[in-house]
Amino acid sequence: MPIKRYLKLIKRMDWLLFGAMMALAVASVFFIYSASYSGPGLPMRSLYKMQMVWFGVGVLVYLAAALVDYRLICQWATVWYVIAVGLLVLVLVSGVKVYGARRWLGLGSFGIQPAEIAKLATLVAISYYLFHHTLESRRELSTVWVVLAMTGAPLVLIVLEPDLGSALVLLPICFGLMFAAGVRVKHLVLATVLGCILAAIGLPVMWKMKENKTGRKNYQKERLTVYVHHDYDPLGAGWNLNQSLIAVGSGGMTGKGYLQGTQNLLGYLPRSVTPNDFLFSVIAEEEGFVGSLGVIGLYAVLLFSGLRIAANARDRLGMLLATGVVVMLFFHIFINVGMTIGLMPVTGLPLPLLSYGGSFVLASMTALGLLQNVWIHRRIY
Amino acid sequence: MIISAPSREHNPRLRAIGTIIAAGFLILLVALWRVQVMRGEHYDSKQEAQSLRRIRIPAARGEIVDRNGVVLANNRPSYDVAIYLDQLGRISKKTDVVRVAQANVGALGVALGRKIELADGVVRTQYEKRRPLPLRVLQDLSPELVAAFAERASNLPGADLIVMPVRQYPLGSLAAHLLGYVAKANENDDEEIEKFYYYQPDSVGRQGVEKACDEYLRGSPGGRTIRVTPAGTLANDLGDKQAERGGRVTLTIDVRLQRIVEEALAGVKLPAGKVLRGAAVLLDVRTGEVLAMASVPGFDPNIFNPGTPVPTIQAVFNDPASPMLNRAIGARYPPGSTFKTITLLAGLESGAILPQDTVACSGFLQIGNWKRPFKCWNEHGHGSVDAYKAITESCDVWFYQEGMKTGVDAITRVAAEFGLGQATGFDVGKENKGFVPSPAWKRTTYGEKWWDGDTAQLAIGQSYLLVTPLQMACIAATFANGGAGLHPYVVKRIEAAEGQVVHEGQPDIRVHLSAKPQQIDFVRRAMLGAVQEIGGTAHPAAVSGLNVAGKTGTAEYDVTVDGKPQRLKRAWFMGFAPYDQPQVALAVLIEDASSGGHTAGPVAQKVFSKMFGKGAVETPGAESGAYAD
Repeated sequence: MPIKRYLKLIKRMDWLLFGAMMALAVASVFFIYSASYSGPGLPMRSLYKMQMVWFGVGVLVYLAAALVDYRLICQWATVWYVIAVGLLVLVLVSGVKVYGARRWLGLGSFGIQPAEIAKLATLVAISYYLFHHTLESRRELSTVWVVLAMTGAPLVLIVLEPDLGSALVLLPICFGLMFAAGVRVKHLVLATVLGCILAAIGLPVMWKMKENKTGRKNYQKERLTVYVHHDYDPLGAGWNLNQSLIAVGSGGMTGKGYLQGTQNLLGYLPRSVTPNDFLFSVIAEEEGFVGSLGVIGLYAVLLFSGLRIAANARDRLGMLLATGVVVMLFFHIFINVGMTIGLMPVTGLPLPLLSYGGSFVLASMTALGLLQNVWIHRRIY
Repeated sequence: MIISAPSREHNPRLRAIGTIIAAGFLILLVALWRVQVMRGEHYDSKQEAQSLRRIRIPAARGEIVDRNGVVLANNRPSYDVAIYLDQLGRISKKTDVVRVAQANVGALGVALGRKIELADGVVRTQYEKRRPLPLRVLQDLSPELVAAFAERASNLPGADLIVMPVRQYPLGSLAAHLLGYVAKANENDDEEIEKFYYYQPDSVGRQGVEKACDEYLRGSPGGRTIRVTPAGTLANDLGDKQAERGGRVTLTIDVRLQRIVEEALAGVKLPAGKVLRGAAVLLDVRTGEVLAMASVPGFDPNIFNPGTPVPTIQAVFNDPASPMLNRAIGARYPPGSTFKTITLLAGLESGAILPQDTVACSGFLQIGNWKRPFKCWNEHGHGSVDAYKAITESCDVWFYQEGMKTGVDAITRVAAEFGLGQATGFDVGKENKGFVPSPAWKRTTYGEKWWDGDTAQLAIGQSYLLVTPLQMACIAATFANGGAGLHPYVVKRIEAAEGQVVHEGQPDIRVHLSAKPQQIDFVRRAMLGAVQEIGGTAHPAAVSGLNVAGKTGTAEYDVTVDGKPQRLKRAWFMGFAPYDQPQVALAVLIEDASSGGHTAGPVAQKVFSKMFGKGAVETPGAESGAYAD
């Protein structure tokens, strides 16, 4: 009976990992509610209900990703990778244009973001590629080039959408996996230096071209300016960062209380982006430093559980998968939380599990499902 | 258990990744601690600064009443139409607000059948600075327009009828110069401005009692604290503080007497083509209280309310007759023969003049080798004149001679004793000090020596001497009291809104003459004769059944009108009544009149007779101009 087998596997789950995930999911629904709330009796968007639906679907996806043996999943790595890249090409051709970027593929009344799928597919593909090399071949420079090429294809496609933030997530995944797989540090440094030179030349050229084409100031450049000078254009480009800083700062030690965050309620935190990009600011304003500590604490439970799972994986593939997931989630968390207090430039990178958005909720829960998968299928003595 | 779980595969690289992640979380926590805990208050105040707004709510201005409680100034409701810019509907772009607002105001104008002017700049300022507050577009609507608004325009988006207090003077122009008027305060006038984001200005007193007692009348403003959204619209109210009503000012004025004095002044007939200009002051000699103070031409302080067309107000300010000027305190004139009372007293006191000094008046006097003789107003001459007759018949020649005997120093010393050349300390309005000349002053100003002719002129109140009507009333009061003069005042009492008295006007002796009582009494008796005797120059002021003492004066001055030199006259009366137990002192001044006796005397007569309810004495020849000086 397969059901009996699956129940047995479920019993082997890491419940701490599952618990931390569900705690973040519950917090997500509550604070998305708060982010849409503007006062008693006033109309509000029912985003929190949608988010609950996503978490419902997400739990099913999670179980699927956790219970089907990861080795089986990874045998199809090439297929996943090709599908993901195909979707990225498709979105460039027939994607829905929102705010000047094609990031969404229409699917009936829903939209999916192929970039989220691409992150996971690339993670699986690189892990599988590195798993199939002996230690000796992994220490060769050619391996680095192949992995970089595997990363480069989806990266360039995502940059073209454009979604620079999501594209950049691929880099820590790729480097983290190579590092964990034992690639020489010397080679990694070489690749990094090369990448930096490319970026230093490529980005300004790209921005210049865009400015010439649209005649408008490039928003990425503006965001970087705001990052360097927090006071730059506080009513325009700097609005979000400044309002987020005020929200987080005015939360103080214990916060203003649930549904009491004035920055959020009055709409100083822009309602259009707060549930996605600035949900952490809402939590920090309403629950204060204590709330911030709680969120970071839950993420720490997730990520260190992930590393423990990596260390206890049955094989190198499991170890790489787990490491890749941990690195990917960490990058999102650090960039997003850092962004709300000006530590990082403003990018559209969402906060795993907390931010509103179906694609990313499903992607995050799939990734955590894979983590659970590696734990469930560890070898037990 | 989480971190230090036994790992089967000891992998230093995994450990390195773990360290990086731990460091990353630590960086985030330290940064969050810095923002939330260490700089929390900074961001808290930033948050308040951008979302909290205080609205100033002006207090209702206090009342001004006369000594019997008759209301001279209070507030009435003004019905204004206002629009709320944050309720005009969706304004997508900031530049749209002017267009949307003007369209709405246009529709409002059509509905009310009245064109509404609204400057684009006003809309923009309101939108940027005072968005949740009403923007008044029509003020002080008539009842018909209020009805029209309720019927046809109240459903227009953002439009509303609001009620604002407006200053009203129920008795119109009565005592207008004393009361003054109010205007909208400049924002800069208020020291509290910094604390309020949305500022609704008070009315501020601009003249008279309204200005002098402004700090008591204006009360203390209330406030409302609100939260606003980033769009500047009202989010919620956080509480308010009630405005505190202004205090009540009671004046010493008696509306009945004020009316008598104003009517008497208004009754003066001048030659055709001349504008009546003048002033009158009625004092209670026992206290120094001003019972009435009038100045013509006057103005209606109600015109300074919102809703009056600007040209109407401009016309008042630009009128060449200066209706806004309070001539009773703000203008100075040569005192003419009224000053002879002071010259006589100075002569008696110094011993230079004896009451029985007799001079033969032939109508003129030659002084030194001046090319023209000094004329008496009566060119036929007064014949043999003593000190008493010199006052009652106002003989100039007698005063030329006796004045020169007395000397300029003695005369100006007594003039200064009376308070001439100095402000009386009147508590309301800007007072003119008048002027008392001296030889030293003439030398430095004109480089000329003071000569006997100057003293002779000074003795009859001509030449450089200048006084205000209020100072003249004080002179009369000082004679009435036998040498003691009280400080004149008009603010009797100020009560705070809760009723406690914060200021009370007190009688205060300002002048104390050094002359002997019998010398002062001699001048008083002569003043009585000037009014009561048939031949007295002040006889037109006589009232049957009432002993009035007084002195008239006609000050001459030369002006150039249309290139031709012209001699104009200022007519004076100053006196007191009743003679035996004086109650009131009165000074009357009329510009461009024929003579003191002829023009100012009858004004005094009307005031005294109506005030004391006595009949006027028939004055034969009053109309023919037989009485001069």
